[in-house]
Amino acid sequence: MLEIASDIAARAGIGLRARHLDEAASQAPPVSFLEIHAENYLGGGPALRKVERLRADHAMSVHGVGLSLGSADGIDAHHLGRVAALVDRLQPQLVSEHLAWSVVGGAYLNDLLPLPYTAESLAVVARNIDCVQTVLKRSLLIENPSSYVAFVQTTMTEPEFLAALVARTGCRLLCDVNNIFVSGSNVGFDPAAYLDALPAAAVAEIHLAGHACNDADGETILIDDHGSRVCDAVWSLYRRAVARFGLRPTLIEWDTDVPALDVLLEEAARADREAAAAAAGQAT
Amino acid sequence: MSALPLADLQQAFRAHLLGAEQTALVATAVGDRIPAPARLRIYRHHVLTSLTAALGATFSTVRAVVGDDFFAGMARAFIARSPPAGPVLSEYGAGFPDAIAGWPQARSLPYLADVARLDWALNLAYTAPDAPALTAARLAAVPPDQLGGLSLRPRPGVVLLHSRYPIDRIWALNHGGDVDTVDLDAGGVSLLVFPRIDDAALASLDAGAAALMAALAAENTLGEAVAQAMAVAPDLDVGAALGRLLALGALADPGP
Repeated sequence: MLEIASDIAARAGIGLRARHLDEAASQAPPVSFLEIHAENYLGGGPALRKVERLRADHAMSVHGVGLSLGSADGIDAHHLGRVAALVDRLQPQLVSEHLAWSVVGGAYLNDLLPLPYTAESLAVVARNIDCVQTVLKRSLLIENPSSYVAFVQTTMTEPEFLAALVARTGCRLLCDVNNIFVSGSNVGFDPAAYLDALPAAAVAEIHLAGHACNDADGETILIDDHGSRVCDAVWSLYRRAVARFGLRPTLIEWDTDVPALDVLLEEAARADREAAAAAAGQAT
Repeated sequence: MSALPLADLQQAFRAHLLGAEQTALVATAVGDRIPAPARLRIYRHHVLTSLTAALGATFSTVRAVVGDDFFAGMARAFIARSPPAGPVLSEYGAGFPDAIAGWPQARSLPYLADVARLDWALNLAYTAPDAPALTAARLAAVPPDQLGGLSLRPRPGVVLLHSRYPIDRIWALNHGGDVDTVDLDAGGVSLLVFPRIDDAALASLDAGAAALMAALAAENTLGEAVAQAMAVAPDLDVGAALGRLLALGALADPGP
């Protein structure tokens, strides 16, 4: 698999949302990179033109939410072709997708749906990642999902499954620290042990976000809504991730009740401080 | 212990998300302190609310007219019957105006489906690929004896709409326009919806310009289109009608 030169600094970036497009264009936020959702820019129009102008001054990550790498039906070639055209146009430093599925029988279900971690699923996802990497001519970063349910037929842990994908396909990993925390609480595993089990050398990006605490039949369930600041427990897990993986490009994601751009920049600045402290602690 | 093949699990998950009870899916999901059905409902809730929000963003005038609850009722029925065919949510909802036309509870709002068609046209115009518009200067450079044979086509993203209701005023009323009231009996409108540099817009056309635009969109030559438009609007001022269409960027530059 081709490895592209990565000129993206191992500092914090922000998810670029529609309401911030004009402000980002005028003030050039001092972040390492901007991440866009591929599916928001596959048509034409003013939004894509603004992103293209921003690309001139910023490192960029294209984050897919709709390739459905876990679909037993395989990859939608039409959609992949459109993503490939966007990647070709923007030449981003990073391209990522999720360990999840959203398409079955030609219907797109608009969620990152869970997979049982079995040999069958591994074969399906590996085949689909191969397909995407062949068309994009670059390695894909695979993000661990936030989970609300596990399956009885699962035979592998999620880190084992991700490590097997790395070994089989040459993909790299996008470690979403908030998702580890959310899934650990919801389906019952130790987030620290999960981090320790990931293949560290493969981790090329980290995601951070806030989550909500909801009630399900009288029990607490964490919802990965990207609608608040990163919580203290997730900052703590992030420091552990940096200590183990080293400094990595780290994204602040915020998708629900998106706040002013300055709030995202504050969170990004905090991520840089937390990462520097964790890396320094590791070095001494 | 059931071990559904992945393809079957995904089919069952789809049926669950769109509202059907799926005992095989529940049986393959781990239930512990939180029962499996409650866990699976989280996904259903997210899919239905996020797709309702996507339709609400695209059909913002419809939502403003009927309110969030009424809108959600129409949206959820539509989602269950016609889930998206792809992950680009701005492309979801082509069938929603017709679904609204057939929604029993919306019969007292006969203009609502046309408002939805206007929202959809604006959405298409906003996301249309860039394409240069035919300019008056370009057209003036065509030798007069060749004008009648020209094939002039709508620019990508340009849509002509007709309604028996003043949907342009309904749109303006709900988007901060300079409109306080709408007289539903004020008569119909012909609207041109078109992309601009930073957004999409709508403009009303008189009967002659609308007939000319419709005839061009139906792939007639300019000469044929003028003849058809004059059959509809005998006092058509061809120069004015064509000038109006060019000023709105309605026609594509045919290239060299």
